[in-house]
Amino acid sequence: MTDFLGRLLRTPQGFLGCLIVGLIFVAVLGGHWLTPFGPEDMQALARYKAPSAEHWLGTDQYGRDILSRLLDGARSTVVMAVAATVIGTLGGAILGTGSAYLGGRADEFIMRTVDAVMAIPSLLLALLVVSLLGSNSANALLAIAIAFMPSMARISRSVALTVRKQEYVSAAIARGEGSGYIVLREMLPNVIAPIVVEMTIRVSFAVMLFATLSFLGLGAQPPATDWGLMVSEARQYLHRSYWILLWPSAAIALTAIGFNLLGDGLRDALNPRT
Amino acid sequence: MTTSLTPVLQVSDYSLAYRAPRGKIPVINNIDLTIARGEILGLVGESGSGKSSMASAIMRHLPGNAEENAGSIRLGTTDLRAQNERAMSDIRGRRMSMVFQDPATSLNPTLRLGEQLAEVLIRHQGMTTAQAWREGEARLAQVGLKTPAEMMRRLPHEVSGGEKQRVVIATAFACNPELIIFDEPTTALDVITARQILDLFAELQAQTGVASLYISHDLALLSQTANRVAVLQKGTVVEQEETVRLFRAPNHSYTKALIAAAPDPDKRLVQPLEESGTPLVSVQDLSVKFGRKSWVDSLLRRDFQPVVGNQAITLDLQPGEVLGIVGESGSGKSTLAKAMTGLNRFDGLIEFDGKPVRGLSDMDRGYRRDVQIIFQHPDASLNPRQRISEILGRPVRLYGGSGNPRERIKSMLERVRLPAHYIDRFPHELSGGEKQRIAIARAFLSNPRLVICDEITSALDVSVQASVIDLLMELHRDTGAAYVFITHDINLVRQIAHRIAVMYRGDLVEISDAERITDPDRADYTRALLAAVTPPAFTHSL
Repeated sequence: MTDFLGRLLRTPQGFLGCLIVGLIFVAVLGGHWLTPFGPEDMQALARYKAPSAEHWLGTDQYGRDILSRLLDGARSTVVMAVAATVIGTLGGAILGTGSAYLGGRADEFIMRTVDAVMAIPSLLLALLVVSLLGSNSANALLAIAIAFMPSMARISRSVALTVRKQEYVSAAIARGEGSGYIVLREMLPNVIAPIVVEMTIRVSFAVMLFATLSFLGLGAQPPATDWGLMVSEARQYLHRSYWILLWPSAAIALTAIGFNLLGDGLRDALNPRT
Repeated sequence: MTTSLTPVLQVSDYSLAYRAPRGKIPVINNIDLTIARGEILGLVGESGSGKSSMASAIMRHLPGNAEENAGSIRLGTTDLRAQNERAMSDIRGRRMSMVFQDPATSLNPTLRLGEQLAEVLIRHQGMTTAQAWREGEARLAQVGLKTPAEMMRRLPHEVSGGEKQRVVIATAFACNPELIIFDEPTTALDVITARQILDLFAELQAQTGVASLYISHDLALLSQTANRVAVLQKGTVVEQEETVRLFRAPNHSYTKALIAAAPDPDKRLVQPLEESGTPLVSVQDLSVKFGRKSWVDSLLRRDFQPVVGNQAITLDLQPGEVLGIVGESGSGKSTLAKAMTGLNRFDGLIEFDGKPVRGLSDMDRGYRRDVQIIFQHPDASLNPRQRISEILGRPVRLYGGSGNPRERIKSMLERVRLPAHYIDRFPHELSGGEKQRIAIARAFLSNPRLVICDEITSALDVSVQASVIDLLMELHRDTGAAYVFITHDINLVRQIAHRIAVMYRGDLVEISDAERITDPDRADYTRALLAAVTPPAFTHSL
């Protein structure tokens, strides 16, 4: 494990990715205590303030401190993105591994269905789910998880097909193990490495998808501190005070870049030969 | 044999190590080798002894993390270590060449055989394409290919493994090199094909007088091919001697152990079988077919020809009997094993202990418990992400039994002669032989009545193989389980089996008593197979 961390930190992508993601997690876990102001405290006299010593990133149209709102919003935005990715990835991985294990006609059926779902762009699919189920954060999470499942199923199936031919899987079948045990205990742990990499990269997509849904008013609702929602609300004040829009956008971009770099680093660290 | 004064290859005081994250790993330690013109030097050693690294060092084709000492490698008067990459590419193929283990991977699958052979001639002899193709045809005729002109135009997948290896050999001999390195050239081939390739090698060697370095793990094979044999143990040459003298009076204890570990068909390791009336297993008309008719086929009313894995196999097995199954690769040995353990669909009937089994659904927990399989590659048959405790804990949990599971696993580990504290290890912390013992322990934890061993020793080194066979025979005496022992090592199977079944292309050719397999009235294929087997080094007259 230490060996693996060493390899991860030695690559520049891995190091930067760990640093950025680490900072984001500090904001997620401790953002509550770090904020200089309450995220929803309005100060009538301090509206549209540019960044200054008191308000490091300035204030918005209601005089709320943007830094405080960002730190507070990190929790909902990042946690939701990670949760959606984990659910989507695990669901997809189990689907793909199960499909590879079953083989034959069941495999055909599952994978062709997955192909059909994959043909719909993920944002469109997410929009569809949210508009069917109603717009709130939990549904947005579910929507993104569902949108991620097909491609993860495809990736994990291709890895699982090689694992399926391994003799330890044959040994498990010959000893009369149930399908559930074979898929979850014998195959899935050996499929997981590329999935972890893909999952890390997908967190950044999820952050952006969430932001998009919130921007369109289909995710979090005001006065939540969700970053996407902040961008959406700031849009009308772009010409008057651009920083209201700038900082949450920068935070989204930084998170996406951080997770992307971490994913690249993980890929190199998990496959030292390539 | 002509021996001129300067040897063709001279390696003196050469050491090689690989840099790894955890420090340097020494691979070759202070090796001295000389090969004179027309001489065949055998280099024998177990896996990891540095045989192939030696070949790479001579070809000057080392990976980037290799670290060498000041020792020298000379080809004739040329100092190979002083050559740059450009000069080396002139020497490779022209003055020395190499024949690899697996012809399926050493030929480019997208180029015609003729192009690959002609390229060497064009590159090194400066021939035109037309000349090279004509010359190539002559070379292919020389290596015993019947239709050289046709062969030149074929792609590698259109010819058999033996023919591919002949083309590789023709390429190696194309420029009349001074030295050819053979890296286990027959290991990937079937017994009969391997014998033909060996005969071809001997013939070409005598014709051209090339110096050869013949790398192998098989002492018996080297005892017939090499003039001199160097025994390599963990990167050190422990003994280097004329072949005849080496086998008559080995000096080093490692050489002695290697010679003793080779299976000897005259030394039977199994007790005679006690006659019992009812067979334990009786397989009747068992066929396995692969592939399925797709709906497109049925829609277009196309004929569908399934690939036949087994064709109507009928055999039976007494309780406690060891049945050996031999045959070349693709003869359906493993397919039969997989059908009997429910890994393949099959048609026909398996009667186990009087109960009929007609398909996968008839294989209940009792059948699964009584019939166990051990696979060829211990690396692949143990899940790398599970500890030994979980790997061995599954049969205990599935089939039940009395006693604390952890204690049962520990006592099983001791029965397969592994320390009990291995229980908390992962498979990658064990050596190949130890892993195979774990696989054996897993099969025996359910107290099976039939154990199917699918080539379980072929991935192991000779000395490890001997101890694994020892263990298997001990378990056989203790438990009285019947074995189906699938192998291509005929010397080994003659040692341990009561009866031997010979398979060829999915058919069962015949079953004979192990003692009577050499009788002259055996089937033609059986006799051809036995004739191709290299007898163990210490029995044939030297």
